[in-house]
Amino acid sequence: MKRKSLLFVVMSLFTLISLGLSACKTPAPTVAPPAAQPTATSEPKEAFVPMSVSAPDCEYGGKIKEIAAVDELTVRFSLCKPDPAFMAKVAFIPFNIQPKEWIEKNGGAGELLEKPIGTGPYKIESWNRGDSIIFKRNEDYWGEKAKAETLVFRWATEGAARLLELQSGTVDYITNVSPDDYEKVESDANLQLLYKQTPNILYLAMTNTFEPFNDVKVRQAIAMGIDRQRIVDNFYAEGSEVASHFTPCSIPNGCVGDSWYEFDPAKAKALLAEAGFPDGFKTSIYYRDVFRDYLPEPALVAVEIQTQLKQNLGIEAEVVVMETGEFIEESTAGRLDGLYLLGWGADYPHITNFLDFHFSKENPQFGDPHPAIYETLQAASQIADPAEAEALYIEANNAIRELVPMVPIAHGASAHAALKTVENVNVPPFRAPDFAVMDSGKDTIVFMQNAEPISLYCADESDGESLSACEQVLEPLFNYAIDSGEVVPALATSCEPNADLTEWVCKLRAGVKFHDGSDFDANDVIASWSAGINAADPNHVGNTGAFEYYSYLWDGLMNAEE
Amino acid sequence: MSITPEPPPQPSSQEAPERSAEAAAALNHSFQDYRANSLWRLMLRRILRRRSAIIGGVILGMLVLVAVLAPLLAPYDPEQVLIGVESVRKRQAPCIHLLGCPTDQPQHWMGIDGNVRDQLSRVIYGTRVSLFIGFTTIGFAIILGTVLGAVSGYAGGWVDNVIMRLMDVLMAFPSLLLAIAIVNVLGRGLQNALLAIAIVNVPIYARVVRASVLSIKEQDFVEASRALGASPVWILFVRILPNALSPLIVQGTLGIAGAILEAAALSFLGLGAQPPTPEWGSMLGSERNQVFTAPHLVFYPGLAIMITVLAFNLLGDGLRDALDPRLSFNKPEQAL
Repeated sequence: MKRKSLLFVVMSLFTLISLGLSACKTPAPTVAPPAAQPTATSEPKEAFVPMSVSAPDCEYGGKIKEIAAVDELTVRFSLCKPDPAFMAKVAFIPFNIQPKEWIEKNGGAGELLEKPIGTGPYKIESWNRGDSIIFKRNEDYWGEKAKAETLVFRWATEGAARLLELQSGTVDYITNVSPDDYEKVESDANLQLLYKQTPNILYLAMTNTFEPFNDVKVRQAIAMGIDRQRIVDNFYAEGSEVASHFTPCSIPNGCVGDSWYEFDPAKAKALLAEAGFPDGFKTSIYYRDVFRDYLPEPALVAVEIQTQLKQNLGIEAEVVVMETGEFIEESTAGRLDGLYLLGWGADYPHITNFLDFHFSKENPQFGDPHPAIYETLQAASQIADPAEAEALYIEANNAIRELVPMVPIAHGASAHAALKTVENVNVPPFRAPDFAVMDSGKDTIVFMQNAEPISLYCADESDGESLSACEQVLEPLFNYAIDSGEVVPALATSCEPNADLTEWVCKLRAGVKFHDGSDFDANDVIASWSAGINAADPNHVGNTGAFEYYSYLWDGLMNAEE
Repeated sequence: MSITPEPPPQPSSQEAPERSAEAAAALNHSFQDYRANSLWRLMLRRILRRRSAIIGGVILGMLVLVAVLAPLLAPYDPEQVLIGVESVRKRQAPCIHLLGCPTDQPQHWMGIDGNVRDQLSRVIYGTRVSLFIGFTTIGFAIILGTVLGAVSGYAGGWVDNVIMRLMDVLMAFPSLLLAIAIVNVLGRGLQNALLAIAIVNVPIYARVVRASVLSIKEQDFVEASRALGASPVWILFVRILPNALSPLIVQGTLGIAGAILEAAALSFLGLGAQPPTPEWGSMLGSERNQVFTAPHLVFYPGLAIMITVLAFNLLGDGLRDALDPRLSFNKPEQAL
């Protein structure tokens, strides 16, 4: 008892002392200090020591053998196998370049996730979590400087909420107008409707490592048991179409091979009975409540599929809405045990962006990958001439149809909207709107997208909201033209391949400075790429550590443990 | 020495016969009234004098009728998608022929929802879900709360302390927040939402019953039972609890309104009833952003919630007024 009393007295004393000490602390300043921007080291410039990153050999299955700095402004990519889409891929924003020192200082994570340092027309001022991201014009930009001094990114999940903000003039530009509101925008003298031409796909995925989706007959039954035309007719904007293949026809070789199964509930029911489920089964339909070009009404489409599965196949599915970050993480890791609604908007104009990303050997999102699909795709991706590769893509598309890792539902038509007063307004087909060239007539331009970015370390992100914010700040070696989507020089002025397309030598732009004032050189390219593609790099940390684009588009990460 | 009590004052010889006759008549009348007015009849008479209770009761009666007769009243199955059945489109505004809607168009009094289903049928079936939620959650909370409160109040001592401190902890959380936390642990769905709301409401009834038990257990008739050798359980459940019912009934009626609101809130947040169950809260939640483009989709479920909660609140207020002997309205009855 005495001991307890003593302990109580001691604890009380500690509490009182700590309270006293905290009271004596210097009060926090009432005005927040300006956002700290890392500064470049002012030490004298050291002699350039070229870096490189390489795999011991090509046995790991990936495409990249070595990336080496030849001199300060020259980088050489050595490939294990030819890749005709090399330039188109390199121009994609996850392959952006940040200062080597900044990556190393943060160990591949930390502040890198919220304060990227790039070379783009805007730099990050602040990210007010849950509210907005503020960008400020980069006065040292190597290209044409941004028209507006300040760019603000905001977000709202619902199309109606975004439109209300636009109508009230509190934002200048919004993404994804709800199909029901097209007429309203077009009839409003203050607004302009901007149709988007990005190829996309909505699919209903299944992970074949979970029962009963491990049975191909179950997957085929679901493929035939859903009336996709009914979904497109009732829940999509005009101009949308039922998907005949996973890849839209606007991409070369996208829709070669047999078209998808016709809606046939009787045959579907028979297949399900053959698989041992004559009365259906219970499962879940997972989705995230985020507006996408390919899925303008996520909740409605999920409930519609739930209704169809019950009516046509006797499958009782529970509709489960998930938080977007968790949904992406779980679905792409192949951890969702039911059906899930996910989609894809083209990042670059090549079929590999659709097929190789989703059906590569490294992607576990549909469960165990199918060799019949990924081996054909690997062979096809090495052929530069689309006509020559057509036979292989027919084979791959037919294998996808036969094995049904997912059910392609729709290619959605979509539109953005902006105030009429915004000049040079653009909707690029393969990247986020370029706000640097837009003129709102004010010092500030406010953009409202569907959701908050997950992080701004886009080497390790794949959601559109994160990428669109990154694109204002960061730049890869190349970029996509705003109007045509063609690959145009950015941080590199040129990349020349050898005869068999296995070596690309890229010349970097001279005189480019990062937002922290440091100079851009070839070692920054090596450090940025190494953090993404080299699993043995100590800076290969990121947000989730998945580095999906590095892994899927280059057929795997180098130096990964078995 | 003996003390002789002072004799009571005697009426005068003339007044005496009249007064005694009046007193006898009054006494006789009182006894007749007392026989006629059992506790429940008295309660009913008091309730019927309260206008709010009558209005609440009538609305509630109608809601119960709507819930029971839903298959007869609803023009469509609440989960039936009308694509291909009628020429309607999603979120179509109400079409009422009496108000000028063309007769060649199918009539939908409350319009069509986002998944092309009849909104009226869903609102009607929603009555079933909401009343079921209200009665079951509060029923569960009353049973558990009564047992805990009664044991706590009657036993006293450390038992009382343990139970009531636990109840205090539960009451310290905002009820909706606690319900959300419980649903997150148990998993989303109507069943778990019901359990969460019931758990959140238990402390309210435990406190009410404990307070009543504490006051009743000291009364003479309880002492008498104890003196006669009755067991504590018998005394508690047969002698004390029936006398503690009035506040419980009032609290329960008001509690149902709160439970319906809490369930609607959980469903609104996607934690309660799941699609395609026609629940008012989830109907509101799924179309909340259409308030300007398709206001009928949020107006009708909202109105239904409001009417139901209003009915229970009016009835609860009326019951409280009728059953509270301290209110002046009940004073004449109190004399009995």
